[in-house]
Amino acid sequence: MLTEAPESQSSEEAAGARGVPRAPTMRELGLKTGRFRRNVWLTWAVLLVLLAGGCYGLHLDFAYVGQKLPFLLGLRLSPDGFIQGAALTIFVTACSMFFALLVACLTALGRLSSNSVAFAVATFYASLFRGTPLMVQVLIIYLALPQIGIVLGALSSGLIALSLNYGAYLAETIRSGIIAVPAGQREAAMALGLPHWVIALKVIAPQAMRLIIPPAGALFVSLLKDSSLVSLMGLWELNFLAQSYARASYHYMEMLIAAALIYWALAIVFELVQFRLERRYGKGVAVLGRL
Amino acid sequence: MRVGRILFSWVIMLCAAHAWCGETLDRVKRSGVVNNVLINTYPPFGYIDADNQLAGFDVDVARAFAAKLGVALRLATPGWETIVSGRWQGRWDICICSMSPTEDRARVLSFPVIYYNSPAVLTVHASEQRIKSVADISGKRVGVGTGSSYENYLNKALVIPGASPVAYPFHDVLVIPGDEAVNFRNLALGPGVRLDAIVSNLATARANVDSIHGLKIVGPVLYAEPNVVATEKGDPEWDRTVNRVFTELKADGTLARISQKWFGQDITLDAH
Repeated sequence: MLTEAPESQSSEEAAGARGVPRAPTMRELGLKTGRFRRNVWLTWAVLLVLLAGGCYGLHLDFAYVGQKLPFLLGLRLSPDGFIQGAALTIFVTACSMFFALLVACLTALGRLSSNSVAFAVATFYASLFRGTPLMVQVLIIYLALPQIGIVLGALSSGLIALSLNYGAYLAETIRSGIIAVPAGQREAAMALGLPHWVIALKVIAPQAMRLIIPPAGALFVSLLKDSSLVSLMGLWELNFLAQSYARASYHYMEMLIAAALIYWALAIVFELVQFRLERRYGKGVAVLGRL
Repeated sequence: MRVGRILFSWVIMLCAAHAWCGETLDRVKRSGVVNNVLINTYPPFGYIDADNQLAGFDVDVARAFAAKLGVALRLATPGWETIVSGRWQGRWDICICSMSPTEDRARVLSFPVIYYNSPAVLTVHASEQRIKSVADISGKRVGVGTGSSYENYLNKALVIPGASPVAYPFHDVLVIPGDEAVNFRNLALGPGVRLDAIVSNLATARANVDSIHGLKIVGPVLYAEPNVVATEKGDPEWDRTVNRVFTELKADGTLARISQKWFGQDITLDAH
């Protein structure tokens, strides 16, 4: 890690006057100083207080939110003994992430393949699932497949729809990461006589990961929120419960805001994980603008 | 050749599965469970109560139905569009879910019995002066639940099978389909701010008028809407069973008792 460079104006001028090339400042390098960090936290705090004040101004019934919170968070089981609320949301998101990743890797390989059929299948799939609305896909998988004899449960239908949809997007992200690794890297590895799988796993993949992680992180945050679409099929996830409670009790704003805050908290966890991964895979590169 | 044979055997298998799925009564008898679908966002007919359990008039009726039939009850709460689009493919056996019978729905579902009647009413903002009855809603913005029979009513396209035609004393209404709960919120903002009026059933209107201040129900009842039990098409024996069980529930006063509990009156009285 770089240590903080002196920032005082006078010392810089003094150094310049003596004709000695001075060291670039942290700001010129695009690195964040301690003061920058402190101001970031302060601004966050001010914005949070403003947001909380706005919520307070709505005259919400916080006692009601407190009463429903254990259910929304999924600390209790639903009447049929299944997980519900945020727990189910996390479960659906995690499973969809896993399967989307599998599908995306295969599709990205297909897109990069020299086999025409593999290329065609991959491009057809990616185009179809990126070009149609997710909600329509969810409903088609749930309602249309039974007509050809395949009756899937609500959970599996939802997981399939989310995985296929996000797999299509993620495939493009992965592909762009792979082709962004300079061709010289592969050529150098080949010149060293490394086997193909070593080149793929040890040379290309680590460099591609650095480029894949930020957009993939954004996709997963988006997936987290789109997981609410499985409520269409009667799964008692976070959005479903919030809407149900809102209508049963006429505490509309309370429940919507509570659900929004829980989604936000989960998204922040995702962002932190993404940040860690970015730092890990960015190790070998002089990363500018790192917080 | 071999691919063709495999495909052929698949088709045969799928057809067999399809035919087998139609036998609702057999399925209920064999499994000892009746799968009922209902709406989780339609208080006081179906909603999630303080203990996180499904509750409401429809839930109690479903419990009584299952008990009378001697099977266990399982409840599911998929989206409304999923239910009314039919082709349940054996996922669910029955819908005791406050459905009004329309011609479109009759194409994909059977309605073995009417279990209660629900009057449709007009709700406006409390300070509304111009709208005194449904005859005054011409050219106004009127909210209804998306895909509800009230939407058909405002479009003058409501045909209740087996009932006399409904009167439409209005013209050029701006129908605003949406979420009923959101509609009532919008109406409470003031007359004409987002909506001028809402057409809904009496129980829903009353619950909203009681809990959101600044709303009132105006004019006489628009029409009495029968609410039916729906089943998947294709099993007349199951339909007869459903009808018989409901006739018994009505005869022994169970339906009347459930109605009294939820509404303080018997809305199942004129149903047949």
